[in-house]
Amino acid sequence: MPEDINISTVRDSFRESLASAKSLQELDEIRVKFTGKKGTLTQLLRSLGKLPPEIRKSTGQELNTLRDEIEQSLELTGKKIRDTENENQEFSQRIDVTLPSKGRKSGAFHPVLQTMHEIADIMQGLGYSVASGPEIEEDYYNFECLNVPAWHPARDMQDTFYFPDGTLLRTHTSPVQIRSMLKYGAPLRIVCPGKVYRRDNDTTHSPMFNQMEGLLVDKNVPFSVMKGTMSEMLNAFFGKSLRYRFRASYFPFTEPSMELDIECVECSGHNPHCRVCHGTGWLEVAGMGMVHPNVIRAGKIDPDEFNGFAFGIGLDRMAMLKYGIGDLRLLFDGNVSYFMSGFGGAESC
Amino acid sequence: MLISWELLKNFIDIEPLELTPEELAERLTFSGSEVESITYTAGKMSGIVAARIDALETHPEDSKYLIAHLNTGTGEHVCVTSAKNMKKGDLVFYAGEGSVLPDGTKMGTRDFHGVQSFGMMLSAEELGLHYVDDPSGLLILPNDARPGDKAESLYHIGDVILDVSITPNRGDLLSHLGTAREIKGLYPKSILKTPEWLRPLKQDKEWSEDFGKISLPDKGCYAYRLGLATGAKIGGSPLTAKIDLAHLGMRPINNAVDVTNYIMLMLGQPLHAFDLNTLPSREITVRAAHSGEHMTTLDGKDRELTERDMLITSGGEAIALAGVMGGEQTGINDGTSTIVIESASFSPVRVGHTSRRLGINSEAAFRFARTVDPSLSKSALMAATTLMRDWCGAEVDYRPLSAENEIHEPKPVTLTRKKLSTYLSWDNMNEAVKILEGFGIKHVKGDGDERVFMPPTSRPDITIEEDLIEEVGRFRGYNDTEDRLPGEMPRRADIGETMRLSGFIRNTLMSRGYTEVLTYSFLPEDFPEKLRLSPDDLRAKPLTIANPISRDQTAMRTTLLPGLLMGLKTSVTSGWREPVRIFEEGRVFLRDGENSHTEPEHAAGIIFNGLDTRSPFGNRNDDFYSIKADIESLITARGYSPEFVSGHEPFTHAGQTADILVDGVKIGFAGRLKPAIEQELDVEGVYAFEIDVTGLSEARKPEFKPASSFPASFRDISLLVSIDKSNDSVMNDIRECVNESGNDDIVLEGLRIFDIYSGKGIPEGFRSLAYTLSYRSRNRTLTVEEVETLHNNVRESLKRKGYIIR
Repeated sequence: MPEDINISTVRDSFRESLASAKSLQELDEIRVKFTGKKGTLTQLLRSLGKLPPEIRKSTGQELNTLRDEIEQSLELTGKKIRDTENENQEFSQRIDVTLPSKGRKSGAFHPVLQTMHEIADIMQGLGYSVASGPEIEEDYYNFECLNVPAWHPARDMQDTFYFPDGTLLRTHTSPVQIRSMLKYGAPLRIVCPGKVYRRDNDTTHSPMFNQMEGLLVDKNVPFSVMKGTMSEMLNAFFGKSLRYRFRASYFPFTEPSMELDIECVECSGHNPHCRVCHGTGWLEVAGMGMVHPNVIRAGKIDPDEFNGFAFGIGLDRMAMLKYGIGDLRLLFDGNVSYFMSGFGGAESC
Repeated sequence: MLISWELLKNFIDIEPLELTPEELAERLTFSGSEVESITYTAGKMSGIVAARIDALETHPEDSKYLIAHLNTGTGEHVCVTSAKNMKKGDLVFYAGEGSVLPDGTKMGTRDFHGVQSFGMMLSAEELGLHYVDDPSGLLILPNDARPGDKAESLYHIGDVILDVSITPNRGDLLSHLGTAREIKGLYPKSILKTPEWLRPLKQDKEWSEDFGKISLPDKGCYAYRLGLATGAKIGGSPLTAKIDLAHLGMRPINNAVDVTNYIMLMLGQPLHAFDLNTLPSREITVRAAHSGEHMTTLDGKDRELTERDMLITSGGEAIALAGVMGGEQTGINDGTSTIVIESASFSPVRVGHTSRRLGINSEAAFRFARTVDPSLSKSALMAATTLMRDWCGAEVDYRPLSAENEIHEPKPVTLTRKKLSTYLSWDNMNEAVKILEGFGIKHVKGDGDERVFMPPTSRPDITIEEDLIEEVGRFRGYNDTEDRLPGEMPRRADIGETMRLSGFIRNTLMSRGYTEVLTYSFLPEDFPEKLRLSPDDLRAKPLTIANPISRDQTAMRTTLLPGLLMGLKTSVTSGWREPVRIFEEGRVFLRDGENSHTEPEHAAGIIFNGLDTRSPFGNRNDDFYSIKADIESLITARGYSPEFVSGHEPFTHAGQTADILVDGVKIGFAGRLKPAIEQELDVEGVYAFEIDVTGLSEARKPEFKPASSFPASFRDISLLVSIDKSNDSVMNDIRECVNESGNDDIVLEGLRIFDIYSGKGIPEGFRSLAYTLSYRSRNRTLTVEEVETLHNNVRESLKRKGYIIR
């Protein structure tokens, strides 16, 4: 060992160099200087063999301790420098998180179809299956079977679109009642959602609109079950317990027949100037009744054995009430801005 | 149906009920006859009184005017008028200073060339009474008015009119009599009354003129009666009657015609009055029309008839379309003195058919189609002749001429406790009897759980037990019944594949950025031309509506695309500059042979990058490949693999269209819109797809493939390929070469294109396609050498297939 280099000098020199190291590169230079092939420590270790045996062991231990210290310090400092560098880099890579999102944003549901699916799901929970039938229908199913023969004044209630061959666009979803009874027999529990058509066009009538029919046929079906079913369905749909009332009415296919009003979903009857109920506090939402024996019979079911109830609700009206939509015809022009503003939001980039 | 509160009092004593019109309206509405409005006919009227003209002098300055001195019982008033139709001693209505007209006009004082006029004398028009009197003159009152009487208390001027919506089953409510009976049923304490003019009249004199026979060969005419009035003086009806008619929406014509209208509104029986001398012959026959026979109705229209129509003929000549509308020649004129009144009863089915087929909804047809009580024809005729005596001064004690066919008598209906309790969840039979009797439905037999009832002739709508139950139900109301759900309900409900599929489609497309729309099922007739569909394309032959409301809503859609394009156009026109991505799921209507059609369920969508595509992240650039991803998401999640092959649609871009195949069968298309159509819509870059989703309704279960625990080896390959060769066919070739070259143990687990290059270094008509292949074995780790060998084999076989490897 050269006389002029002792261990503590090397240690001091290392500590001094390390303290001034600012970058990983500088750190690497220090590593080479002390522990590289020609490094100071390496040379000291190499010259260990030349030492007298009596100090060789203790000097070796001292040098190993120094080597450990150098290696650990280098690693520790290296980590510190890397952390600092990463921090600096992250800071320089900062972004404006308030910029709009990238790529497509989700679209929006059509309120009427959303309503249709929601109510079908509610009714499935009550044990009703979904049945369907054609939109271009025969007079037989749309009218005759429903106790409305050709001469009957009740036909005035539904102005009809006809095709040259005498078929027609169904004026209600009720023909599906007949088709389902013929197909499945009794007992039966179905709802039939779908488009229906009438020759009407003004702010409250669209030539095409959407209905959902419900039908239950069983033995000794009491009126109270119809009431229970209607309130269950409406409460679930509007998400609150509503007051409701029945008004006697007339439909050729039910007897007795009634219409159902629910409390105004907007003001609950508290606002005399309410734009939804016009201050009456009530909203007309459905027509219903106990199925007329002639209709049960048209479905090839014995009315002496089975009875039931049927109801029809306007899905467009339900959607308008739930989502506060004013003009029915806006629902069918496919204007994306209308739905995006109401049911989605601003477009992203 | 308009119902007068004052006239109801002729039929029912409602005073003891202490009922307001509003309360009655509510009760009627809840029991099935919705009252749509309540009108107080006097409006804002106040301070208008009857007054006698004590003196009348010409205005000294202007002879156009007369100065009247009026006596109202409480003082003298001076009033200037330009009317000329009054004389001294006449009674008129006087609106003095401070009084208010029905329309809200407040009276003041006005100066007529130095003479102060305090308020004014009124015409009928100024009282809000249209058609009652000449609007240019004053309304002269009958001499029973006393000066000082308030106008609203006289001649039913201050009436309350209920507008009641009558359902088609309740023809009996189209009259004041029927409404009174209904009120009696709803308010058991009220008492029915018979008006003076409905009391029996002695009519036993032979006709002053000979009349032949009435024959009814058509059984659809249940009864036909004629009454006679002689020496009638045609003129105006009594003021109260005229005002009643005007309030009930009927224009007063003359006393004879007014009688028939008045009786119809009171009793519900349509009547016809005509001059006996206009009858072609003194004989009446009611017969079925011959098929193809013609007649001209009162409205001047020529009508072609069928055997279902009934004609009233005289001497072989058709004088009326029975129950629907009269002919042109019979009528009443000022010179008429011998009046014949017709009162008949017709089958609702027959009148219903005729009126619906010919589109005639006359007051008579409207009532007959809803059934007119056949027993009314007799009493209404008698009442009408009584009024002819009172209003026209005619002699009416002639015996009516009648002919009758079989009249359908009501049949007994049984009410059982069991059904009553099921339907209403209420079963008090004794109470039910009281309710039914209140509506005039007589309890005739039984006092236990089964009771028999006889409906009155006025209620032909009551034929089955359910009808009785409804009477009880609407009397009691439906609100008190408990509501419940059955305790045990087998819940095997299924919304079904169509609903589930539709739910899946909308959820998927919405989360991929599409907005759901619902467009009309009917389209403009020229949509096939707009889409350039060739005439032999099934979609070019839509079903068309025979009676459309507008030309734009005539043809049933055969494709969802036009509705979506209209939605796009509407969105863009309304100022939406952002991207438009919309989809619709619904039925299209396709012809299927001569007389049938199908309604397959389609899903279609369009995307358009928007009028303003700028974005801080680079311009929005959705294109064919974006819409392809949307379709793949729809189809693969159902367990199917879609295949896109170069395709053609008449309305899409010739170079950017794909047919979409599932299991080798075409289910739809995807592609860019034909540039010419884009130009017509004034948008650029619209991509669309439409698929028939019927085949996807049953989702296939995904096949589970466990991942290999051994590593894969990746190799890239770059091929020079003719631009006409598709990526799919190159990939197929690569797969084939792996299958040929490899051993069964090693599979090509992945194959993916990662680069497409053409331009510098690539010959014209070629492009370079670069793929990455991943090889893997399920049961061992592959060695570098065997992967190298395999991959070299693949390269060699690709060369043999003619590929140039770069």
